[in-house]
Amino acid sequence: MSEQRKVHPAIPYLQDQLQKGKVSRREFMRYATLLGMSVGAATVAAQCAAPAPPAAPAEAPAEEAPAEEAPAEEAPAGAPVRGGTYTASMQLQLLDHPARLSWVEGANIVRQVGEYLTETGPDNITRPYLLDRWEASEDVKTWDLYLKQGIKFNNGDEFTADDVMFTFGEWLNPDVGSSMLGLLAYLSGMQDVEKVDDYHVRLHLQYGDIGVPEHLFHYPAIVLHRGFEGDIIKQPVGTGAFLLDEYAEGERAVFKRREDYWRNGEDGQPLPYLDELVYVSTDKDAGVAALQSGQVDNVYDPRPTDFQALKDNPDLTVRTASTSQCLLLRMRVDLEPWDDVRVRNALKMCQDRAKILQLSYFGEGELSIDAHAAPVHPAYCEKEIPAYDPEGARAMLEEYAAEKGIELPLQVTLATKNDQAEPEIAQALKELAEPAGFEIALDITEPAGYWDRWTEVDLGITSWTHRPLAVMVMPLAYTEEAIGNWNETRWTDEEFETLLREAQATLDVEARRSIMCKIEDIMQERGPIGNSYWKSVWNITNSKFQNVKAHPTAYDLLYDVWIKEG
Amino acid sequence: MARFLVRSVISTIITMLLVSILLFFLIQVGSGDISVKILGVFATEEQRASYRAQLGLDAPLWQQYVDWLVGNDWRAEAKVGYPLVTAVNPQTEEEEWWADVDGQLTRWKLEEGRLSALKRQEDGSATSHLVSGAWQTDDQGREFFWGVDTKNNAVMWVRGAGAEVWVLTKAGLRKEGDGPQKYIPLRKGLLRLDPGKSLQYGRPVAVTLLPRVRNTLILAGVAFIIVMPLALLLGIIAGINQGKFLDRLISITSLGATATPEFVIGIMLILILGIWLEVFPAVAIFTSPNAIFENPTLLVLPVLTLTLIELGYVARITRASMVDVMDSAYVRTAIIKGMPYRRVVVRHAVRNALMAPITVIMLHVNWLIGGIVVVEVIFGYPGLGNYIYKAAIFGDYNAVMAAAMVTVLIAVFTRLVGDFAYTLLNPRIRYA
Repeated sequence: MSEQRKVHPAIPYLQDQLQKGKVSRREFMRYATLLGMSVGAATVAAQCAAPAPPAAPAEAPAEEAPAEEAPAEEAPAGAPVRGGTYTASMQLQLLDHPARLSWVEGANIVRQVGEYLTETGPDNITRPYLLDRWEASEDVKTWDLYLKQGIKFNNGDEFTADDVMFTFGEWLNPDVGSSMLGLLAYLSGMQDVEKVDDYHVRLHLQYGDIGVPEHLFHYPAIVLHRGFEGDIIKQPVGTGAFLLDEYAEGERAVFKRREDYWRNGEDGQPLPYLDELVYVSTDKDAGVAALQSGQVDNVYDPRPTDFQALKDNPDLTVRTASTSQCLLLRMRVDLEPWDDVRVRNALKMCQDRAKILQLSYFGEGELSIDAHAAPVHPAYCEKEIPAYDPEGARAMLEEYAAEKGIELPLQVTLATKNDQAEPEIAQALKELAEPAGFEIALDITEPAGYWDRWTEVDLGITSWTHRPLAVMVMPLAYTEEAIGNWNETRWTDEEFETLLREAQATLDVEARRSIMCKIEDIMQERGPIGNSYWKSVWNITNSKFQNVKAHPTAYDLLYDVWIKEG
Repeated sequence: MARFLVRSVISTIITMLLVSILLFFLIQVGSGDISVKILGVFATEEQRASYRAQLGLDAPLWQQYVDWLVGNDWRAEAKVGYPLVTAVNPQTEEEEWWADVDGQLTRWKLEEGRLSALKRQEDGSATSHLVSGAWQTDDQGREFFWGVDTKNNAVMWVRGAGAEVWVLTKAGLRKEGDGPQKYIPLRKGLLRLDPGKSLQYGRPVAVTLLPRVRNTLILAGVAFIIVMPLALLLGIIAGINQGKFLDRLISITSLGATATPEFVIGIMLILILGIWLEVFPAVAIFTSPNAIFENPTLLVLPVLTLTLIELGYVARITRASMVDVMDSAYVRTAIIKGMPYRRVVVRHAVRNALMAPITVIMLHVNWLIGGIVVVEVIFGYPGLGNYIYKAAIFGDYNAVMAAAMVTVLIAVFTRLVGDFAYTLLNPRIRYA
């Protein structure tokens, strides 16, 4: 890893920016690795730049001599111990082709057997995983993927570019029906994927996109063996640290340790440390009780109420991850009264964000501005959180009402689903917006009822999932071409869209951040959404397990987890 | 007795048939549109209609019922013109439908307007051959062909009129040309022990249902063995001690336990014995298929919950019945003529007093098998009640029907056993 290699022209510039404090360490790592530097090299580069690195990098992959860089949070005393079983409660459904996965629970099963080319860590930094490194051209249209050598599948075959080519072929084959096909829209087919040699694959993108490494860690993007025939349960072949022993839908999944996994632990022996993993399919409530009584060690994706019930339990460790998951208050800009920017902004001003967060999500989140860009996104531009201002909102509404010749209060209907925290947000907003002159009627249905009409309602609260980059989510919902798809507000803005396209192809951190500053301003000023907070998620695991990570999309990464008794 | 037996069996069969009809239509009415559940809410009406046709849901309800009961391969055979048989695919270990064309197992597929026959080889794989001249002409001059496709349907292709079909993949729906005009999803029917495929798990219902039935039979069996003798004993003790302290104690305790809902008792037991004192496993986590044999303590709290609920009910009925009998003239006579009290109670009183509890007990056997959803859900116990609940929430109608029929079977069977028990207990009852 320490060999001198030609670095991307932007790296010295980035290093300079890091030194001047213009980019954070996280951003430096993100962009340095994005530009093809290995994490080890990037860490070194970062240390060269920063005069005195205060904290160790959040997570160094196991082969990067973790003894010196123990994760700051946990600092486990003593060397990892081998052996033991990890038991988790998680719903298990039908599972066949990993590329067709449509639920993270299934991916958590496949993830123990198979692996990804890249890995976006709990810190939202993407690193090479089965890749040794990647390199992007200046225009980010050509991507060189260099594979790690000497990795073996659990059937003894060596991992080579043929497997990567096969896997890309599955993703891009419409007959397979993978959601990767839509994500990799910049590849028009296998003619854009080139095998250079046995350990080098080159992607020729139709248009530049900086999200390639993140896309390769999308949950269905497990690398398959070249002989894969379509059912991972019948043919559990992968490079991962565990072997699938049993899979019964609705019942359980059992994994055993693999003896010849490619990564070594701190003791120089192959990982994993654990001997066995057991996932039991139970209801969440039963899972929570089982966690409290010590029958299971982890519950998949705890709900806020589970968090409340479990957070003070001395046997459990709660790890929190910030996400870009949100519950958006969204307004149809092609319908009255939301076509008037004053009405939209008046409603946005009625959000007492801290109060809404407290009432609907127990205060477990990060306050947000009214733009679909989160602080966990690397190029996020810091903005002041708008204050609750019912008087200001009332003034704007009065102006609007006078113009239209109507009387306040303005009667509107807020539609949402009874799912996560939406009813509480809706209720809080109803009260908070009353002094401003809104009379909000609530229309709350079961999730399926709302998803039936989510793009059609005038005013609604829609949940959006985590995506590692803001430029990955914005094109889905706020562009011309997304109308008829996921553009639920019908909002388009020429200036916004131009800036967004520019940001999508901009690697330079400062340049990108300054674009994001403008994008965020536009969304706050005339955008179609209000957003009170970004949800936090929790990983709640029995405290005896070390090296457990909280992941923003609840991915279970267990290859270096170990048990410390007592 | 033989006549009674025959009559019982016949009435049992009729009952099951009627119940199955009722259930089938109730589920059809109640479960809503399954295509929404499976395809998600973003699917269009066209996509849903196409998918429903592939599940055979476009057929009339009575037809669907007959298919469910006796299968539809015989109906499809008439269309295809060859015997339809199942063969196990050695790779997936699942049964596949094939047409037996003069000893050669064959399926067909239509691609770009050309029909090819897939001939099954010894090892389960198939070789593809183009077919010509297989098309038949109907009275409107259209060319059509009935065959078995690769997804276990008997299908009708119409030449030059390939329907666009929406095929479900995990990432969504994909449009395919050359789709069949009609589908008959092949099945053998419940009477030939094929309850169909679970839509939720994509595996045959029988495979997922049987372990659940076993688990519930164990839970219910253990609970039954503990509750019933105990309840009868307590009821009898209370009955012969009418008005005394022991009677009051048993009556009030059992009333209290029975009046408390099972979810309250269950959660209290989990919190106190499972989480706080940690004496028993809080919930039934099955880390292996045979977890209850490896660690029987998993059963303690669910059984205890069931015991507390059931105990009072049966005990109180036994007590009331016992009090009645103890007051009757023949018992008084027996006591007056100097028979030992114990003998009066055991020989004369109890036997008559058991009539009422037997009825209740037999009803409760059935409740223990199918109705303990709440207890199974609270304890995460992978049993039949939990299975029906999840299947019903998903709208997995094949699974719900199969599971419901199991409970119906148990219900009519226990009724039969109850009837026989009456004749044994009371010689005055004769079934002639």
